[in-house]
Amino acid sequence: MSFYPARRRRNSLWMSLSTAAAALGLGWLLLILGVLVWKGLGGLSFAAFTQMTPPPGSDGGLLNAIVGSLMMTVIGVAIGAPLGMLAGTYLAEYGRYSGLAFIVRFINDILLSAPSIVIGLFIYQVVVAPMGHFSGIAGAIALAVLVIPVVLRTTEDMLNLVPNTLREAGSALGMPRSLVIQKIGYRAARTGLLTGVLLAIARVSGETAPLLFTALNNQFWSVNLNAPMSSLPAVIFQFALSPYKEWQQLAWTGALIITLAVLALSVTARMLASRGTVK
Amino acid sequence: MNAIVHADLDAASKIQVKELNFYYGASKALKGITLALKANKATAFIGPSGCGKSTLLRVLNRMYDLYPNQRAEGEVLLDGQNILRPDLDLNLLRARVGMVFQKPTPFPMSIYDNIAFGIRLYEKLPKTELDGRVESALRRSALWDEVKDKLSSSGLGLSGGQQQRLCIARTVAISPEVILLDEPCSALDPISTAKIEELIDELTDDYTIAIVTHNMQQAARVSQFTAFMYLGELIEFGETDRVFTSPHEKRTQDYVTGRFG
Repeated sequence: MSFYPARRRRNSLWMSLSTAAAALGLGWLLLILGVLVWKGLGGLSFAAFTQMTPPPGSDGGLLNAIVGSLMMTVIGVAIGAPLGMLAGTYLAEYGRYSGLAFIVRFINDILLSAPSIVIGLFIYQVVVAPMGHFSGIAGAIALAVLVIPVVLRTTEDMLNLVPNTLREAGSALGMPRSLVIQKIGYRAARTGLLTGVLLAIARVSGETAPLLFTALNNQFWSVNLNAPMSSLPAVIFQFALSPYKEWQQLAWTGALIITLAVLALSVTARMLASRGTVK
Repeated sequence: MNAIVHADLDAASKIQVKELNFYYGASKALKGITLALKANKATAFIGPSGCGKSTLLRVLNRMYDLYPNQRAEGEVLLDGQNILRPDLDLNLLRARVGMVFQKPTPFPMSIYDNIAFGIRLYEKLPKTELDGRVESALRRSALWDEVKDKLSSSGLGLSGGQQQRLCIARTVAISPEVILLDEPCSALDPISTAKIEELIDELTDDYTIAIVTHNMQQAARVSQFTAFMYLGELIEFGETDRVFTSPHEKRTQDYVTGRFG
């Protein structure tokens, strides 16, 4: 019993330390969000969504950047998500016990944590350099490369949560493997799979580095995938570093728009995940 | 010579297992099993945990094929055809030999689709005919009255006993010839268990049944033949009444009287 008071003191010490650490982390996050709202909200007008990025010294909006971001993200996800999902399916279903799966999993883990600027340089070498100019499609491909590992990992994890008994039950009815995966595996894991895609979108929608080497930027309205394309992150990067008041304001507004969009995606993903159908 | 002597017995056998060995990697789980399942009879497999009875069941529809490092040696004849042949179409085999698992495994879809799904794998039916097939499968498994008003709700919302009957309905719906039941009642309450036992009894009119159970009374109630297994070997096999009342083997007697296992 004589240990008890000391143990109690030690307990409260550790508890206060970890609470303080948590509060500190959360505090910075709130501070960042607060500043973003404070500085960005002023510029969040109708014009921000309807006008083009302006020349220095005049008013404008972010329409071309928003549309560029949307286009490249959608195309990037459209290319990357199916690839990631198929590869994840291979790892969880067909190749679960194979040596190839081990290698793929290892490489994917590396890809998952690869600096995105490296991906940008890689796409620059294999797409931009041969084409001879920056382009929206190169940006989309760079984003696709970032989407693949995220979707692959969540697909594998989610399919692994589907109980084997369910697969056996499907096979016991005489279903071929592919049908067991499509009709039972995907169906049982569908919210998890969707969550993975949403998280991948959230991940790439704020990426700047890979776009600077691939899509570059475009001050004007352009939906031509074969030409340089504007994007929110690139515009923020350019405008935030400029000496012009209007540009700086637009940078803040753009940052707020991206943050709100990512926040909305993450919250949706969380809600879907907690509702989870994997049983 | 032996083959001629057993010719009579063979004619009534749906499945014949001959000198079957089974391996999980290097460890041998079944050792020289030889027995025959009579058509339209229920055969119970009893024995302590790990004796290989579920393993034997999983050989009969080649379920083990889903996993690497599991392999069977010997012969298993279904209507005289060896189902251990490597070139056998497993999906067709499993359409003929259905299986119900220990844990109820409804698919994540509606009650109706749980059953229609299997039927659609093999037949393209007009809606009304499909409805009829779903209904008769559900009636067959004594579930119709409980679910007829909520066919479109999820199969996962049913109770454990109902889910298990749904799984039986799903198996029956594709009209297999043999139904394998792997401890189908071990997760169920006594009332659901009674319903399923009743069901098994009725199913022997049309199907050959193999059931693995830990419950001796259940084996005695539902089966006409009983196989007692121990450590991967078949110790005794015969008519259920005989095995339970006057077993030839001491180990069988000890087990069925509850002295070990």
